[in-house]
Amino acid sequence: MKPPDLSPSRLRFAASCHALLLPSVLLLLTFIYLPVVWAFLKSLYEFEVGSPARFVGFANYLEYLVNDPPTWPSVFNMFLLTAVGVFVRLSFPLIVAKLIHSLPYERTRYLYRIAFLVPIVVPGVAVQLLWSRMIYADYGLLNEFLRVVGMDGWTHSWLNDPQTALVALMCFGFPFAGGFEVLIYYAGLSAIPESVNEAAALEGCTGVSKFLRIDVPLVLSQLKLILVLTVIGGIQGFEGILVLTQGGPGFETMVPGLWMYYNAFSFQRMGYACAIGVLLFVAILGLTLLNLRYFRSAEEVQGGAT
Amino acid sequence: MSRPQFALMLRRLSLAAVLTVGVVVLWPERKAAVAGTEAKAQSGEYKYVLRMSVGQNYLPGSVPAGIGEPLQGVTQVVAAFEARYPDTKVEIVTVPIEREFLVTQLSGGAAPDIVSVNVEDVWVDAQKQWYVPLDRFLERPNPFVVAKGDPAAPGARQWWDMFTYQAITRGKAAPDGNNYCISLDMVETGIFYNRTFFAQHGLRPPESWGEFIALLRRVKELGRTPLLTNIDCLADWGTDLIFDQFYRELMPGLDLKKDDPVRAAYLQGYMDPEEISFLHRQGYFTRRDPRFVEVWRKLGELRPFLTKDINTQDLTREFVTQQAVMLWNGSWFVYRLAGDQQLGFDWGVFYLPPMLPADSPYASGLPMCVIGGVATQLEVTNSALSDTDPALPFAERIARSGRLRRAVELLQFMCLPENTGRIVNEYPALIPNIVGVPVHPQLDPFVEILKRRYTTTKWAYTFDLRFTDILKRILHLYLTGAIDLDEFMRWQEDNVTTATENFLQRTQTDLAPLQQEWDRLAPLRAGWRDVPPPPSR
Repeated sequence: MKPPDLSPSRLRFAASCHALLLPSVLLLLTFIYLPVVWAFLKSLYEFEVGSPARFVGFANYLEYLVNDPPTWPSVFNMFLLTAVGVFVRLSFPLIVAKLIHSLPYERTRYLYRIAFLVPIVVPGVAVQLLWSRMIYADYGLLNEFLRVVGMDGWTHSWLNDPQTALVALMCFGFPFAGGFEVLIYYAGLSAIPESVNEAAALEGCTGVSKFLRIDVPLVLSQLKLILVLTVIGGIQGFEGILVLTQGGPGFETMVPGLWMYYNAFSFQRMGYACAIGVLLFVAILGLTLLNLRYFRSAEEVQGGAT
Repeated sequence: MSRPQFALMLRRLSLAAVLTVGVVVLWPERKAAVAGTEAKAQSGEYKYVLRMSVGQNYLPGSVPAGIGEPLQGVTQVVAAFEARYPDTKVEIVTVPIEREFLVTQLSGGAAPDIVSVNVEDVWVDAQKQWYVPLDRFLERPNPFVVAKGDPAAPGARQWWDMFTYQAITRGKAAPDGNNYCISLDMVETGIFYNRTFFAQHGLRPPESWGEFIALLRRVKELGRTPLLTNIDCLADWGTDLIFDQFYRELMPGLDLKKDDPVRAAYLQGYMDPEEISFLHRQGYFTRRDPRFVEVWRKLGELRPFLTKDINTQDLTREFVTQQAVMLWNGSWFVYRLAGDQQLGFDWGVFYLPPMLPADSPYASGLPMCVIGGVATQLEVTNSALSDTDPALPFAERIARSGRLRRAVELLQFMCLPENTGRIVNEYPALIPNIVGVPVHPQLDPFVEILKRRYTTTKWAYTFDLRFTDILKRILHLYLTGAIDLDEFMRWQEDNVTTATENFLQRTQTDLAPLQQEWDRLAPLRAGWRDVPPPPSR
């Protein structure tokens, strides 16, 4: 093995690199790692904003995991919504990206890319309110459509009916072709070498067969990225649910992140909210590590093949 | 300059001109005024810049229910106050009603000096010294009344004397005995009904709960939505009204805290959280308490007659379009109906009728109680003490603060009859609470309701917000048929247990005096039937 280069110039270069990295690392420690440690410490206390704290050990964790009725229904909802999110974000946008990529003219491909990209600039909350008040509302598009076609009995208060609220949340964003994912997949498809496409054509591998056997394996890096982001978003995200249903009716659409928010800012149970936050952090970390360990990227696939 | 360069420059100049015009046209005027105020404040022209959130009922510039002219009452009163105190500027601010916002503002001392918050929410945070107790000011003369020179005028002796509804106003004292809110107005609820529809179908306002349910059934048979209300109303008003029907008669044997003559004058044995907590440990408000189960069973009787979406905040549309025939709402709805030129039907108001023994074995037959009371509740926050040293004891800060005195003077000025009249009577929605201010005739039915006795307790405001949140959620599931009464009671009992234990732990309440009173009242309870069995030791 070649010994490390410990020449003064090399060490000086390394030192200057460390010095340049230092501000970023300090900010990272201050605003990311320190709050995590702080949250863990605070999770061992019971305290309200403006009141003294009382040490309770792991009582907050115990209460959340054993005694708090919304815990397990909300965890179930979280996994269900995340699973649906993973499915739709790994499938529909990829199909749309492939269709755009298959168009013969660059100008039309460009126009489609723009068309799918523009909605990204609309704030998420605005889109959620749009769905809540224009599509799912009592006199919204969905119910009015049902009335027009004579299916009055099928009309629902979609987001407030315990039987439909969770499904309505799952269908939010239909047809699920988000501009961000479409662009990521499109970039991945564009990066496939032309020689691979030509070889596939020569071998008679076209259409769906080529998509499944050539394209999908070669955009695994992009799929892995979207998978990790979706899982993280699914576990820690709750803004959309807060806007659309507030976790209701009852606890039908409650997720742990939203329960954490309510405990922190509505009920002022800061220590308890910190405990939920720490558990979510552990869950996200674990699932992300699993993803990284078992979901191979295109490079790894190619590396394994050679 | 070449031709293409000239063309490019021309395009850029045109774009710059359009942008400039756009910025000038769209520049917010009000922002400039506020900036001016801040500049004056910074330059020392104003000694005090008070920030006041008056609540949505009186927000200057707003148009209630989209009818009539923008409100100006508060602006006019504030202008008169500023003219009297040139060193003071009052900014009217809009504060989100979300508690999350206010908690962070209060903890940082950045809330408006005067805020409009339900005082029960204030009680929860009273021990944090976020709000200023106002008793010492209320017990002194109102200086603006004194300045008028009539020693017999209400307010010349004590500011307290200016309030019409003395008992309700004084009854809003916190459990710690202090009064934190000033209320210029009252509100009461009622069931608005389509009188034209009633006349067409030979219907009349009900005299009992049984008649009420029969009426709802009849309206449903006629193809209309019988009753519009939402989960907020049902969890708050509905719960407390029915609870009062079943427990009022038991109060002589359950009222364990009689040491507050001020509150007792109106509240007549109001169940405070420590009493509920103690009684819960004795088995009350559990699945073993038949009356408590009956409260929710009777509330559940409304289930078939409610609108499809009981989470809705839009209680107006179906009523004014006559798809629904009755609507449970507050007196503020009078303005919406009275101001609608295209309503096309006559309307009236009745109050929820009493439950008779034929309706329930636990019914007292007493008339339904009052559930409304004070409407806009104005509190002075810790921001008004910002001119004092935070290290000083709270009482000393209150005694020393000039800013606080000016904030209180603003409230005292607003309480002058001519000023309250200008604010509250700008449109018929709420009932003035200052002696000498006339009431809009359209609100007379609600004035009559306000003469009744007050509710036994207010469940939705008694404990922490977690309790209220869970109550609403499980009640929603119950009233939409997602869970049955047994499942609901299981949740609700857990909810009450958690809330009472949290309350006792947080306040470190000594239950021994309540236990003594409980033992003393034992003979009174000796003959009672259908009460929960004593807990096993």
